[in-house]
Amino acid sequence: MEITSTLFAAKAIYIGLIFAITLGVAAYSTYGERIVAAWMQDRVGPDRAGPFGIFQPLADAVKMFMKEDFIPANSSKWLFIAWPCLSMLTALLTSAVVPFGDKLDLGGGIEMDLQGIDVNIGILWVFGIVSLGVYGILVGGWASNNKYSLLGAIRAASQNISYELAMGLSIIAILMMTGSLSTKVIVETQQNGAGFLSWNIWSQPIGFVIFIVCAFAECNRTPFDLPECETELIGGYHTEYSSMKLGFYLFSEYINMFVSGAVMATLYFGGYDYPFNEVVEAQFGQNIAALVGVGALMGKALFFVFVFMWVRWTLPRFRYDQLMNLGWTGLIPISMFNVVWTGLSILIPTTFNLPAWASIVVSWSGIGVLLIGLIIYHGATSKKKTVALAH
Amino acid sequence: MNAIIALSLSGIASLFLGFSTNRKNLLITTLLFVLVALGLNLADWNHEYFWFNNMLKTDNLSINFSSVILLSTALVVAISRSFGDDEEHTHPAEYYAIMLFAAAGALMMVTYENMIMLFVGLEILSVSMYILTGSDKRNLRSNEAALKYFLMGAFATGILLFGVALVYGATGSFNIHGIGEVVSRTKKGMELFEGGVILYAGIILIFIGLLFKVSAAPFHFWTPDVYEGAPTIFTTFMSTVVKTAGVAAMYRLLSISFPAVYGLWGNPLVWITCLTLIVGNITAVYQQSFKRMLAYSSISHAGYLLITILAKTPNTNGSILFYSLAYSIATISAFAVLMIVSENKPKDGKPDESFEALNGLSVNNPFLAFVLTVSMLSLAGIPLTAGFFGKFFIFTDAFSNVSPLFKNILVVAILMSAVGVYYYFKPIIAVYMKKGEIAEIQLPLIYKITLIITTALTIILGIAPDLVKNMF
Amino acid sequence: MNFWYFLTALTLLSALMVVFAKNPIHSVLYLVFTFFCISGHYVLLNAQFLMAVNIIVYAGAIMVLFLFVIMMLDLRKNVPESKSNLTKLAGAVLGGTLLVVFIAATRHMNLGNGSGAIGAQTGMVESLGMILYKDYLLPFELVSVLFFVAMVGAVMLGKREAGERNF
Repeated sequence: MEITSTLFAAKAIYIGLIFAITLGVAAYSTYGERIVAAWMQDRVGPDRAGPFGIFQPLADAVKMFMKEDFIPANSSKWLFIAWPCLSMLTALLTSAVVPFGDKLDLGGGIEMDLQGIDVNIGILWVFGIVSLGVYGILVGGWASNNKYSLLGAIRAASQNISYELAMGLSIIAILMMTGSLSTKVIVETQQNGAGFLSWNIWSQPIGFVIFIVCAFAECNRTPFDLPECETELIGGYHTEYSSMKLGFYLFSEYINMFVSGAVMATLYFGGYDYPFNEVVEAQFGQNIAALVGVGALMGKALFFVFVFMWVRWTLPRFRYDQLMNLGWTGLIPISMFNVVWTGLSILIPTTFNLPAWASIVVSWSGIGVLLIGLIIYHGATSKKKTVALAH
Repeated sequence: MNAIIALSLSGIASLFLGFSTNRKNLLITTLLFVLVALGLNLADWNHEYFWFNNMLKTDNLSINFSSVILLSTALVVAISRSFGDDEEHTHPAEYYAIMLFAAAGALMMVTYENMIMLFVGLEILSVSMYILTGSDKRNLRSNEAALKYFLMGAFATGILLFGVALVYGATGSFNIHGIGEVVSRTKKGMELFEGGVILYAGIILIFIGLLFKVSAAPFHFWTPDVYEGAPTIFTTFMSTVVKTAGVAAMYRLLSISFPAVYGLWGNPLVWITCLTLIVGNITAVYQQSFKRMLAYSSISHAGYLLITILAKTPNTNGSILFYSLAYSIATISAFAVLMIVSENKPKDGKPDESFEALNGLSVNNPFLAFVLTVSMLSLAGIPLTAGFFGKFFIFTDAFSNVSPLFKNILVVAILMSAVGVYYYFKPIIAVYMKKGEIAEIQLPLIYKITLIITTALTIILGIAPDLVKNMF
Repeated sequence: MNFWYFLTALTLLSALMVVFAKNPIHSVLYLVFTFFCISGHYVLLNAQFLMAVNIIVYAGAIMVLFLFVIMMLDLRKNVPESKSNLTKLAGAVLGGTLLVVFIAATRHMNLGNGSGAIGAQTGMVESLGMILYKDYLLPFELVSVLFFVAMVGAVMLGKREAGERNF
């Protein structure tokens, strides 16, 4: 009884902490976004609220709350109110299965995983929640009773569904490597061996590129931010939203960014693993090592958040047909190729009794094969196109 | 089993053949694929095999049914004429591929040992047929037929699946022999075992799902519209392959799993059979369109086939096979003639499928007229054709059954055969007696050969049924 | 057990609301909620994988497409009341009969005490994978034929032909 209640309290504190951290990171991502944008465009950026403008998110929040809460006429009132909340909910739920750190020793032989819940289906949970996130946009856009909102919502739905497929296929390659759906196990398999050299990124380069592209699309970030493309659709699905309801939509986008950064770190960059993990654990004990691990994961996730912002201020937006083309005729075939090639890279070392690095060689040679294949395919199709033009 | 794998692979292969520009090759290769599958199927003759953890079981009966299905598929492919020369609106590679896949599904339905295989096979066959029904995209009738078929078929499949789930819940097995064992064991004590009512509900639901697929009477409403709306070549496929597979699947299930509860499904089936015969035959009389008449005739033939399933005599295997073979070849020749004649005389830009389109066919096309006559006589069950012996075997089966109910069915069946003679003679009269102008129709060689084969088979089986009957 | 009753009541209620909701969008949303409740039942049965797949496939993909189409159609206008009273009556009688049969069937059912071997691993991904790839390998592979047919058909029927009207 004693053990469980301690564990329960610790777990509750941990979950509250993760919740707070996620929200805090999301809040400061808005600040970070402006700083990065200013830096890239050679401007000063926010500098009024507090030193270096670090109270800017607070000021924004106050502004959001103070604004008029407007509900358009003839809209479905309940859905209109409920759906930003759902957007927020799905964004927050994802972090439940992300392992933020190794075991923490609470004393008295009680050990706690720094993870919300280690379910058997770990990564599928993330996937399921992400696939629900689209409802927030879809129904919110419809409930606004506005053509532009509806168009934005429909764009978002088709985009999310299209990119989920490639995302799922790239995860399948990871599952083939680790043999488990549990995020904890995925991280642990990356811990064995030579430091960061055993991270999945080395054996899954193609998979990672596909995953990060799909993550951009799932978060509706530039260059895939067609649902809120202001030149065509005013504000997209949140045209009619104001005040904190709009705030929730924007906020959930930043939470999604952070969580998908954490998921990417977990899947491809060793999660809470860091070089010389064992040395730290031997020197300073289990708890310090685990907390450094949390720091490592946060660092990786925040780096990905930075990449999101970096890309936003670097690349222009896709056109809608380009987006669909990339998803269906680009990413999905490539990720299928990746699945097959991953199978090959697992099979070849085991059948020929080669050392483990052989599988990494095979997987990187996959990039070469893919490029050659694409060049040949492109040559064949472009010829056809010129013929068609000549007609 | 090997035939199923071969068909699945050759379906993919024929999709790739769509890149080739020559449509004639496509027909020949598809025909070859089907014949290879037929060969692989016959290679297991006189062996009993269980495949993949008791998922499928091949024995002589299932091989015979498979052969009938593959033969029908081959004949339908042979009369497809590569789907015309219309480059833009037809996709022959896809049509052939889907037909091959559908045949694979049909084979699964006649060799299944596990209920899951029945479901998967049924779904492959049904989905293929939904697509092929709607393949004439610019024809509103075809679109309507496809949608109707799809919606109704989806419900029927759902009911079937629900039934399978209930039967599994009651017996704890998906294996049809396993189910049969549980059912007969508990029936011996003549008392309801645990979950007995669930089992009965499940059986009835499965039953309804399968009866829908063979278009028996209260579940037949989709048939005329779908058969009429679909392109004729796919109607042919539907009325031969789908019907044979459906009847075979039902026969397999009822004879292996549920013979112990004959009273449960036997009594409703008697009424369903009578209703099917009456509805099919009487309604066929009033049809103006030859194609629609054939649709109703297919309903009535489902009724005759159900009689054999009911009769439960040692001869049932042979009769049911002989009847499906006779029915299939006669139907293929009838549809083949209808297809080529109706396309010859378009009305409002569409093929004219009424009886009038056949008027005076015998003047310039005696061969087609003869083929049509033989097939109609066979469907009507006139002596010296295969159809006569098909009906003869079925009626003897029914007669040898002691139950007094069967005398009633027999009366209905014989009366309805007489009604059948009336409407099957309509096209014959149109061909020989009515005046009309049909120029000589040029038949492609392979088309002609197919018609000769079907007609010859119909006549040979009508003179010497033992040639085939003894095989079963 | 109490939780089971609560979940079942919720499932039935939302399923009924699917039928009774006036607005088709609301119907779809209730259906999504029904799927959630069914996923909850899967969790109670220790079938986590099925729960996740149910949510991903049904709630996450299929229902989104449903919603998509319904939004495009804009069903708020012209909803013809096509059903006559006779059809309604016949439907009610048939559905009621089926309901009575099933209630009777469940009443006679003797549930026993779950004699099957249900361990901690039942319903987990690993055991499900073993069953799918060992016992049910053949249907698992042949289902791919089914999906392939459906895919070929969808492409074939949905493909825009030369000279067709472009919307």
